[in-house]
Amino acid sequence: MTVTREDTSAVGRKPPPARFRPSPIGWALRGVIWLGVAYLVLVFPLSRPAGDLVSYTTAVCYGIVALSLNVLLGYVGQISLGHQAFVGLGAFTSAYMVTEQGQSFWVGVLAAAAIGGGQALVLGGVSLRIRGLYFALITLSYGLVAEQNIFQIQELTGGGAGQPAPKPELFNTEWRYYYLCLAFLALVLLVDWRMMRSKAGRSLLALRENPRVAATFGINVRMATLFAFVVSGVFAGLAGALIAHNDTFVSPDVWNFNLALVFIIMTVVGGLRSRAGLVIGGAFFALMPYLIEKIPGFTDLLAKIPGPQDLTPEIAPLVIGPLLLLLTLIQFPGGIGQQLRPITRWLGGRKFDLHDRGLKEVQITDVRA
Amino acid sequence: MESILRQHRSKVIGLALVVALVVVLLVTGQKGALVIGLSTGSAYGLLALGLVLIYKSSGVFNFAQGEFGTVALFALYLLDFHVPYWVALLGALVVAGLMGFLTERIIVRPLFEAPRVILLVATAGVALLAIGVEIWLATSTGKPIAKAFATVDRVTVLGVQISDQRLWLIATLVVLAVLLGLFFTRTNLGLAIIGASQEPTATELVGISVRRLSSFTWVLAALLGGLAAVIIIPDGGSFGPAIMTTQYLIPAFIAAVLGGMTSLPGAFVGGVLVGVVQSVATSAPIFEDIPGTKSTLVLFVVLLGVLLVRPQGLLGKGS
Repeated sequence: MTVTREDTSAVGRKPPPARFRPSPIGWALRGVIWLGVAYLVLVFPLSRPAGDLVSYTTAVCYGIVALSLNVLLGYVGQISLGHQAFVGLGAFTSAYMVTEQGQSFWVGVLAAAAIGGGQALVLGGVSLRIRGLYFALITLSYGLVAEQNIFQIQELTGGGAGQPAPKPELFNTEWRYYYLCLAFLALVLLVDWRMMRSKAGRSLLALRENPRVAATFGINVRMATLFAFVVSGVFAGLAGALIAHNDTFVSPDVWNFNLALVFIIMTVVGGLRSRAGLVIGGAFFALMPYLIEKIPGFTDLLAKIPGPQDLTPEIAPLVIGPLLLLLTLIQFPGGIGQQLRPITRWLGGRKFDLHDRGLKEVQITDVRA
Repeated sequence: MESILRQHRSKVIGLALVVALVVVLLVTGQKGALVIGLSTGSAYGLLALGLVLIYKSSGVFNFAQGEFGTVALFALYLLDFHVPYWVALLGALVVAGLMGFLTERIIVRPLFEAPRVILLVATAGVALLAIGVEIWLATSTGKPIAKAFATVDRVTVLGVQISDQRLWLIATLVVLAVLLGLFFTRTNLGLAIIGASQEPTATELVGISVRRLSSFTWVLAALLGGLAAVIIIPDGGSFGPAIMTTQYLIPAFIAAVLGGMTSLPGAFVGGVLVGVVQSVATSAPIFEDIPGTKSTLVLFVVLLGVLLVRPQGLLGKGS
């Protein structure tokens, strides 16, 4: 049961056309775009003040969160409504290890990833037979338990005051830490990519299409679901640790249900199963308050909208974000990733095809939500 | 007799559980928790009923269900300055119904063919949009809201005093339960909704527009959400943005799942069960050492237990 995109798209094609090769000018154009992206991500932040870098780093970390949620939502078609708990517990674990136990940053990050995977293992192990709606509900209430009970444990979270999380020695400036997080994002992207090219990854996709058919092909449905849950938990824990040390401080009250909804929204708007789209979606939602502030004239425009109070950069994303989400869903259900697909394919050395939106059947059809 | 029992086995199990719980509570002297749980649970039941209705008609967990209620609260608060209370209450319900109608028309209908997960995220988007607008309009501090009945603690049941507001809630619920029961079994419209939820294709074949029923169902669900909010929240005295989502939506979800997601009486019973368990557990001594609010933890444990032992829900049909 191999259902990678390449395999299914090859079915209708015969005889296979000669492989498209871009002309030298085509390569040059692609190179320019690649350089532009590289400049924006790698060089441009160097010229920005430290305060902006914190926002950029958060954007990178949200990219990892989106990739983590995508493993469940995009690959196996399960909805986690408690992802803020996974990310939050990762953040507290790392902060606790560094501040209370005097361990190094690296031990903290490893512990956060391990705890993230471990809680997924326990939660998934208890509710192994549960999929779909019930999986959503279990994660939902787990998220609430984390918010109301786990994050109230004094030793772990430092009480209402929060837990300090200093940056590691080698990466103690905002700029260096930004590049560290970029490296972690690259690592997660690599793991995700290799995983989906492996037998385990393909069995996940088969599982999403139809669990019963997958089972008849010898895929262990429970183990595969558990595997995806654990991978997602590890990514989430890692992202949490990185967010903690970026803010240099973890507060218990940010990890609430609204955050879980924001995570899901950015994953779907980014585009399930599209790595580029997911990273862009995560970054976009993390940067929204920042962007509103930075776009010239936009805050003045917002202030002109009549209302009991001004649409400040703090409040505006709460209104604009959901509006964008609803627009995306109704007009472009494949998210940013689907819209960008012609461009990303072109950048990868293929022909520019405006109508290449990926396969229809790649969309989730059997999630009972 | 035996066949009737078998036919209604799930309902019998549910009722037996409720009765057993009530008896245990009375014997152990937890009367206060019982009465408070019953009235809070009624509000959960109302919300859960809306959730089940929409789940049956659109196949989606409606995250906007709580916000139908909060929007009704805002309408009640604003209208109360200008018109008599009961007119304001009616206006609030109209606003909630309108929001349900618009949600169905603008969001749900274009996504009729879309994957369910997309629709789920869309309803979450509606909830988030409503919360955002509420925060913008109201600032996030609590606002006082008037009760329908000023008298507090007039009636005493089992040694526990109950405010008129809570009595009203329970009375509304009983009346509504009877009305809805009649609606779904006696009227053409009600039967059509049930039909559309069970066999959409067959319902279309006999000449019923499933899509038109869908908007009606959403309006009905929104009305139930609004009604739950305008009755239960004034009892606490104040409200703020997102209050129905943060405090009532999740227990209502759990109530709906306990009821098996498809059974309307199940949602009611589930709501009451959740309310009672929650209020008893907050005062139970075994949870003393756990920091924070215990009610969700208890619900989580109950939920895990139910899903492990009886995944189709307490009152759901066996698969």
